[in-house]
Amino acid sequence: MILTPLLIAWVMAVILALLDGRRIWVGWLAIGAMAGVFLTTLRLTIRVIEHGSLEIVAGGWPLGLGITLRADALGTVFALVSSGVLLVALIYEVLAGVHERAMPALTLFLATGLTGLFFTGDAFNFYVFFEITMTASFVLTTYGQREREMRAALIFMVVNLLGSSLFLSAIASLYHLTGTLDMRALTAIAGSLEQNSVTFTSILIFVAFCIKLGLFPFHFWLPPVYRDSWPAVAAILSGAVANVGSYGLLRFGGMILERELQLNGGALIALGAASILYGAVQAVSVRTVGEALAYSAIGQAGYILLALGIGGPVGIGAAILFALINSINKTLLFLTTGLNGWLVGAAFAIGAFSVAGVPPSLGFFGKVALFQIGITAQNTLLLVIIFLGSALSFIYMFQIYQRAHWAVDHPEQPSRRPSRLLVLGVGILIIALGLWPEPLLLLSQRATDLVIGTP
Amino acid sequence: MNVLLALAVAVLFGSGTFLMLKHDLIRVAAGVLMISNATTLFIMTVSLHRGRAPIYPLPEDQPISDPVVQSLALTAIVIGFGLTALLLVIIFRVYGLYGTLSGTAHPKQEESPEEIAALARHQRPLQRSPRRVDAP
Repeated sequence: MILTPLLIAWVMAVILALLDGRRIWVGWLAIGAMAGVFLTTLRLTIRVIEHGSLEIVAGGWPLGLGITLRADALGTVFALVSSGVLLVALIYEVLAGVHERAMPALTLFLATGLTGLFFTGDAFNFYVFFEITMTASFVLTTYGQREREMRAALIFMVVNLLGSSLFLSAIASLYHLTGTLDMRALTAIAGSLEQNSVTFTSILIFVAFCIKLGLFPFHFWLPPVYRDSWPAVAAILSGAVANVGSYGLLRFGGMILERELQLNGGALIALGAASILYGAVQAVSVRTVGEALAYSAIGQAGYILLALGIGGPVGIGAAILFALINSINKTLLFLTTGLNGWLVGAAFAIGAFSVAGVPPSLGFFGKVALFQIGITAQNTLLLVIIFLGSALSFIYMFQIYQRAHWAVDHPEQPSRRPSRLLVLGVGILIIALGLWPEPLLLLSQRATDLVIGTP
Repeated sequence: MNVLLALAVAVLFGSGTFLMLKHDLIRVAAGVLMISNATTLFIMTVSLHRGRAPIYPLPEDQPISDPVVQSLALTAIVIGFGLTALLLVIIFRVYGLYGTLSGTAHPKQEESPEEIAALARHQRPLQRSPRRVDAP
């Protein structure tokens, strides 16, 4: 059951790699496969919510020896949202016309990496799937193959390879300290280790995932990459690949190195606040849509770190919920940057309202959760920062709206209708999830219970 | 031995970082390669201990070296090798497009006629991504 989404993605990726992705039927075959991945992940999620986590040990080895695949609430919910994002981005690109043969196959390889990464129970296996994801996204960033995309891919690759090396070093030192790579065993042992020895490892892991997520001091690669890559690819990077960072911080910080996370809460809050303000101010000041959205992504990632720094059930819950909502918002916004026409403006406005946190959009619940952590921590400064970030996000979102969709004096050729209907569909989904948020709230609640450790 | 290996890791990591900060893209690639090898060496170093090779039948009274580390290092080498190849291909493509290996070159603002034709062949409405918006 755990293997189904992973196998569909992997087998179909290998088959699609042999076919010419520019043909329309190959594109739809890839969409079918991706929909299969999404639906099987959905079935798995329902199963996990109803009956608890599932586990498979590869090769039938006794527990602790073989590599485990484990589907729990935290992993499945991230896998569900990420495969949904990949599905939407793939449909968008096929509707617009794929113009490079490897693109559908690469999306499915990315799905393989992400699904495996969210379902693995082994720290080194996590690294391997992490590299599969990153390799697929490096190649995907070159999509378009003009100067700007190649430049973006080069920056993205060099910086993220450095991040991967740091993460691999962290795993090696975790193995040295604990003698195991199984995440559950690591969680049990890491709390009793000597403090000083774990600090170095925690910092390495923290830096590695912050590079992936693009948080303030490690953000420098992010704006050129998101600005210069193709809209569908930017949506995949910000909606699906960035989830690796938030999931990694939750899995390694929230569960395995829980004590270190609590001890360094202050530093996390400071970095998160800096990230929120820096991202928002930069987004207000830049002139291009892609760049403003990229800086907005830096700011939004800051909220996740802020919530993690507060910790506790409320903080972790807000971090999970906000990470999921943020990836849906960012997908919609980046997809609209490649289109023209009036439906696109409407879809963008929905996304903008969701980022600013206006009801009845989905973003409202993320913002509610964030304000809750400020109130729980009884910290006025924190509330001011969250409010300031939201207010600034309102300003830059409508600056973009005004320049890109409202005050356009030279009417451009509107994009094809199916593409515009697709982004509008995602917008309606955001409203619908905002009106009926129970499923998402339940999922994030279960994931929070898992991270906190309450049965 | 530990100090020696730690020094080797430090020197490799440091030189790799130094090379990564250069403008020349081949040096950047060399820097990435050095850092990935430094990581492999780090994996070996952190779990270094003396013992017999872990091959059945295992000796009863002698210590046995940890096989997991070897497999981790091997996997890391393979992944690092693949990624270095990919990085070199991307650098080669960048060289083809920019005509230089200097990292300071700026992209041309417009697509060339060949690229426009290539895009039009696939029935894709040509669009700049991201769209440039005018200042108010």
